[in-house]
Amino acid sequence: MIIIGERINGMFRDIAEAIREKDPKPVQDWAKKQEAMGSGYLDLNVGPAVSDRVSAMKWLVEVTQEVSDLPLCLDSTDYDAIEAGLEVCKRPAMINSVPAVQDKMDRIFTMANKYNAEVIGLAMSAEGIPKDAESRVALAMELVANCDAYGVPLDSLYIDPLVLPCNVGQDHGPEVFETLRQVKLLSDPSPKTVVGLSNISQGTENRELINRNFAVMAMACGLDAAIADACDEELIAAVATGRVLLNMDIYCDSFVDVFKTQNL
Amino acid sequence: MGLTGLEIFKHLPKTNCKECGFPTCLAFAMALANGKTTLDLCPYVSDEAKEALASASAPPIRMVKVGVGENELEMGDETEIFRHDKRFNHLTAIAIIVNDNEEDIEAKVEAINALEYEHVGQHYESNMVALINASGDAATFKSAAEKASAKTKKAFLLISDDTAAIEAALEVLAAQKPLLYAANKDNYEKMTEIAKANSCPLVVKGEDLNSLAELVEKIVALGHNDLVLDPGSRDTGKVLVDMTQIRRQAVKNKFRPFGFPTITFTSKDDPQEELLQAGTYLAKYASIVVMKTAKREIHLPLMSWRANVYTDPQKPVAVEAGAHEVGEVDENSPVYCTTNFSLTYFLVEGEVDSTRIPSYILSVDTGGISVLTAYADNKFTAETITKAIKDSGLEDKVKHRKIVLPGGVAVLKGKLEEESGWDVLVGPRESADIPKYAKEHFA
Amino acid sequence: MAVEIVKERYRSQVREVVLGATKEEGGTRGKTIKVGGQTALPFLHFEGENPNRPVVAMEVWDIVPEEWPDNLKSYFEDVYEDPAAWAKKCVDEYGADLIALRFKGAHPDRKDASAEDCVAVLKKVLEAVEVPLIILGCGVSEKDNEIIGPIGEAGAGENLLLGTAEQDNYKSVASACMAHKHCIIAQSPVDINICKQLNILIAEMSTPLLDKIIIDPVISAVGYGIEYSYSIMERARFGALQGDRMLAMPAIANVSQEVWNKKETYVPKDEEPEWGEQADRSLAWESATAMAMLHSGTDILVMSHPRAVEIIKTHIDELMQNS
Repeated sequence: MIIIGERINGMFRDIAEAIREKDPKPVQDWAKKQEAMGSGYLDLNVGPAVSDRVSAMKWLVEVTQEVSDLPLCLDSTDYDAIEAGLEVCKRPAMINSVPAVQDKMDRIFTMANKYNAEVIGLAMSAEGIPKDAESRVALAMELVANCDAYGVPLDSLYIDPLVLPCNVGQDHGPEVFETLRQVKLLSDPSPKTVVGLSNISQGTENRELINRNFAVMAMACGLDAAIADACDEELIAAVATGRVLLNMDIYCDSFVDVFKTQNL
Repeated sequence: MGLTGLEIFKHLPKTNCKECGFPTCLAFAMALANGKTTLDLCPYVSDEAKEALASASAPPIRMVKVGVGENELEMGDETEIFRHDKRFNHLTAIAIIVNDNEEDIEAKVEAINALEYEHVGQHYESNMVALINASGDAATFKSAAEKASAKTKKAFLLISDDTAAIEAALEVLAAQKPLLYAANKDNYEKMTEIAKANSCPLVVKGEDLNSLAELVEKIVALGHNDLVLDPGSRDTGKVLVDMTQIRRQAVKNKFRPFGFPTITFTSKDDPQEELLQAGTYLAKYASIVVMKTAKREIHLPLMSWRANVYTDPQKPVAVEAGAHEVGEVDENSPVYCTTNFSLTYFLVEGEVDSTRIPSYILSVDTGGISVLTAYADNKFTAETITKAIKDSGLEDKVKHRKIVLPGGVAVLKGKLEEESGWDVLVGPRESADIPKYAKEHFA
Repeated sequence: MAVEIVKERYRSQVREVVLGATKEEGGTRGKTIKVGGQTALPFLHFEGENPNRPVVAMEVWDIVPEEWPDNLKSYFEDVYEDPAAWAKKCVDEYGADLIALRFKGAHPDRKDASAEDCVAVLKKVLEAVEVPLIILGCGVSEKDNEIIGPIGEAGAGENLLLGTAEQDNYKSVASACMAHKHCIIAQSPVDINICKQLNILIAEMSTPLLDKIIIDPVISAVGYGIEYSYSIMERARFGALQGDRMLAMPAIANVSQEVWNKKETYVPKDEEPEWGEQADRSLAWESATAMAMLHSGTDILVMSHPRAVEIIKTHIDELMQNS
């Protein structure tokens, strides 16, 4: 599993302020810090408080690229903002995200094709998030069929089965794990999978414990990526361990340190 | 291997008619992929789609057989790109050329027959006679086939572009189920007809990968499926690339026209250079390597390498149990013991060799597992070691009675001394420390 | 029908390592040699770069190689008492890309040559040839640790490839490399985990050394379990291309050392008639072993038989042709 560092997000006060003041330092500090912890991608989200999301996304991309070569994950429901960001990305980026809703898929997969971008596809429709795995997988299949029809390589698609906080939707947990397993059977090559890890522990006590346990359980079900707190040392150690146990990285005694330098 | 939902979906009519009982074709495809329903519930699926779906679930590389009886060869049926991911299933067959206008065909065939070795506990042998219609004459080809087949039971590869020559040779050899070489763009219809009529496997020869794929499809359409692929390349680098592509296309993309075994030819005349070409091709996916030389000193390293590449990485490999000599041993030479797990044995052997003190290594039959594992599994015990000492004849070979035991199982010392009557010296735990140990004890 | 070529998408590459140093770079070599830098599996030019061709180093000893069979020794009869002349012959007549100077004579059971003796040999060889040098010890760690410092110092500026660091004995070699800017051979006993860990240990001593490591996975001869080393190299190389930076080092294979002590290379035909003629058999054993390692991703082959060297170099030429 790879880590998509979640910290450059306008929901956090320091980033919101940085965007407002056009102060690159907090953004760049977080970019470097997350890279040093082994992030493979950096998620960029301008947050809810910004009025001009297009220019804010462009600015985030530009200042982040000044200090990090990691691929970026452009996180917005405003597709104009995403497209503006893709235009200035130096290397192929990831689009976060598109639901299984036809007109949205049409726009996003066209964009993905044009910019050689990867796509996070959400297992939800206009009706919302289904509960059982079967319905989630059906939506994933729609994303897969569209991805293929638009000529985007299937292994550039990351299906997000959508994680709910465990104190709210406890019964969703097993369905998410089952979805992760079944998504791998949809196509060959199969799509990849991603979750927004911190969602699982929203509003709970001891969030880090829940996050890292969920992460390793999901990894065992085939999870490929997580948008997560890259600065959580124990999470990173757990992920590095999981990668070794799943034979994804070749073991050596210093495997946790190696994971951090790998930026997969 | 099962089909994925997407593969199935692509072959469905996509009308969402619901007659199958599922709300959408997509949902039906997924149910099919999960084995929860059957294709015949769809009233509108075409025959082509049915066929495509049936063939897509076939193994990535078809198994093709050549020859009969105990010399029958199985080729293809491979699933891996890297041997370490699982294993390569079928040893590359080594075929050796005999020209039909050669002076002494019998002698050449006998030399090919004789190419077998008993080496480090394994049996190596050549597999095929490649009879070439070098004369260009059908009658000569037939008579050569007669002479050759009288001398060998090995499988035959019949090489001629001339369908009449192939037919003539088949009058003698059809029952041996030879591999016919080759269908090309000019003769493929006739060649396919002959192969079908005689139930023989057929090589398809392209001029490159594209023309090869095209020709395979045509021949499959004529109803012959026992095919072997020759992309036509003969330069070492190009053969490597083509063989790699064919294997990847078949295994990773399930590209049907390339889902067959393959054949390669060495192009060099110098046997030493042929060896490197053949060695490359057998490691990189060729099912058959056709060679000119039958020299014993070339085939021994080649077949050793072949045995290495085709060793199943998931099975422990054993060396022969017994007393192995390292250097010019005599009755005073030290005796070490270890297991017959080949990696352990070879590490120990390397270190003992570097001591430059001629020694015996007693490899105890532990079923090919390492010292500590074998100890834990009761296969490396005072009893098994004692038995190995007695069976090896060491008691006649050396006049001392001292044996070096691996340091990791020092605990066996007392029991082993009691059991065997030998003095047990506890050696180092790691093989790397053997030279130091030897210097202190035997120098 | 146009067959769509399957290309693997790799995200990383093998590190490129430079061996030797010219006058401008502070040494005295006529030219330097680059190894590594691949962005694809060996010789698959259609999916990436194999920018540097694999090279062949020939072994030169500081003592007469008594144990070699006559058919090998005969090539060097006129020079093997003089390592400098021996090295020169390998380069001038047999086309060696590098010289692997093996200080066998330092072995306590051989000549027990001192560090000063070794340094003197090194200096003579450096003068005699212009190719980069690989330095190999006698195999006894304590002794090798004694001689490696003075050798590193005497060769300062030459960017030698110094052997041999092992997991439990890497500090003296690494120190010599750090102090005098040499490259380092990191040897692991047919164990990919130790291979990776040793690279990390060396990098912890000195980060710049990361780009000067050549890994030695320890090979064996064809017929003697070479498949273990072959698969370890294939895994390491595939891992490197997939992004494992701690395995992304070029590799060396000590072919000569593994081959010439095997029965198949020295037993005459009259003792083993089934094995065929000894002279051709032995050189075939060396070139076949080299060929095997080449296809697993080895960058530097250390060999001895001039004809085997010639054949393997032709083979490499053919594999490097962009087809």
